[in-house]
Amino acid sequence: MIDRQDVMRMARLARLELSEEEIELYQRDLNSFLVSGRKLQQVDVSKVEGTSHAVAVIGELRPDVVGESLPQEAVLGAGPQVFNGFFKVPRIVEGQE
Amino acid sequence: MKYDIVIGLEIHVALLTESKFLCSCATAFGAPPNTQCCPVCLGLPGALPLVNEQAVEYAVRAGLALNCEINHFSRFDRKNYFYPDLPKAYQITQDVFPICTNGYLEYYIDDVLRRTTITRLHLEEEAGKLVHSSGSIVDSEYSLVDYNRAGIPLIEIVTAPDITSPRQARLFLEQLRLLMLYMGVSDTKMEEGSLRCDANISLKPAGSTVLGTKVEIKNLNSFRALERALEYEAARQSRVLEQGGEIKQESRTWDERSGRTLSMRSKGDAPDYRIFPEPDLPPLRLEPDWVFRIRETLPERPLERLHRLEESYGLSRYESTFLVNYADFCQVFLELAEEGEDNTDLANLLMGDYARLAREQGHLEPQRLAGLLQILQEGLITHNQGKAVLEELFKSPLSAREIVKEKGWEVLKDPAQLKGVVQQVLTANSELVERYRGGEEKLWGFFVGQVMRTVQGKADPQMVNELLKGELTQKS
Repeated sequence: MIDRQDVMRMARLARLELSEEEIELYQRDLNSFLVSGRKLQQVDVSKVEGTSHAVAVIGELRPDVVGESLPQEAVLGAGPQVFNGFFKVPRIVEGQE
Repeated sequence: MKYDIVIGLEIHVALLTESKFLCSCATAFGAPPNTQCCPVCLGLPGALPLVNEQAVEYAVRAGLALNCEINHFSRFDRKNYFYPDLPKAYQITQDVFPICTNGYLEYYIDDVLRRTTITRLHLEEEAGKLVHSSGSIVDSEYSLVDYNRAGIPLIEIVTAPDITSPRQARLFLEQLRLLMLYMGVSDTKMEEGSLRCDANISLKPAGSTVLGTKVEIKNLNSFRALERALEYEAARQSRVLEQGGEIKQESRTWDERSGRTLSMRSKGDAPDYRIFPEPDLPPLRLEPDWVFRIRETLPERPLERLHRLEESYGLSRYESTFLVNYADFCQVFLELAEEGEDNTDLANLLMGDYARLAREQGHLEPQRLAGLLQILQEGLITHNQGKAVLEELFKSPLSAREIVKEKGWEVLKDPAQLKGVVQQVLTANSELVERYRGGEEKLWGFFVGQVMRTVQGKADPQMVNELLKGELTQKS
């Protein structure tokens, strides 16, 4: 069972701000996934090979050739704060002994 | 109590591709910030990554050089976390199925060959570069981000925890750096961040098999920093344990200025990367033929070269190590050396005055250097004059032989002519000759000096000694 704490933790990890109603909504939805999951667990998969991808495609590789990049203004345009061609971000860690 | 030190290393090596790992942006160092970025490496919605074939080849080459098993099936995974240097808020890496596993690296510690196990080697993408306002992450009010570096291909190499001293950790890393350089997969410039190392270190009571709590040290951007940080950390942990304290499992950063490791208290939760198979990239399958071809064309490894120099060129460990460490000098050496012969003279010439001059002014054409060796062996000039000729070779377009001729530096090779000089010196100093014959043997050096001065240093010292001996003993 996914409880309220689980939902809040997932929201925090994904940087989502949820209202009280949304917390309840997602807790309900996620638990219904688990119900479906439990059904799937009843299928005998002992003879099925595990898959990580929906389609069995073999990786297409790219030759090592330089192409075009975006202009700097376009790159920086996505940032709330910029300085001298850099993105500017607030303090990252706090140090101590 | 006495403790054993247990160290494991994680090394990130930036691969020397022209374009990034999963997009075609350039990887060149030093471009203006945020000018080598595109929707793929910035993680803009809808962008789709494609793996750079050269990066895969370099990873396989590095893995083979480290005696790893090359996995014909490997997979990419998505590691999720928020950090300012990670524009997508996830890193594409290989978690469960890395491309290479289970290898080792051999290296010398004081003439003893040691082996460190390589647990795994995997491909992943580089993060952006952070510039901290105060120079250190610990007390910076803000940081600046350049995403040019984001998405450059990396290999992460993880060792088993079988390194037992800070010095061994440094020697291991030096050998690993050299290996990557020899394989041509990276420029391995620690100062530009293309080779980086994190270290895990713990202490356990001497002889115990139970590992203690480990601490991860980051920000080790030189060999010296690695060794110093590990020494500091071993001493710190020992002190904590001595006082009955407990080691906290944490990440610490090396602070070069204070020479200490500092705890990095993260603002967020404990890491929870929620790693899952990367949906945008299919698994990587390597053709056995392709891997075989890379194996067949693998360049010589530094340790193989070291042994070859010792066994086939008659060099000492000291001389061989110099040449292995400085591949440009080794190239000159190999061009001039005679296989199966003793090439000590050549090695010493390269390591001596030549090294200083070549580092200032670049290498000489090997054939010009060969000309100098030739006339030294012929005895055309003395060893001391060789130094002067060498200096001239860096300035003048003339060959060594031409320089000697032009400067009139040929050694007096005619014994009769030199004998005349010796007799002349003894006659002019007959009083001292008497004293020498009376037992004042230290005057010998004076006679040699006088002869050498008269011929302006252009005599073979051995011939001078022999002639003097003949003259001084003959008439007694």
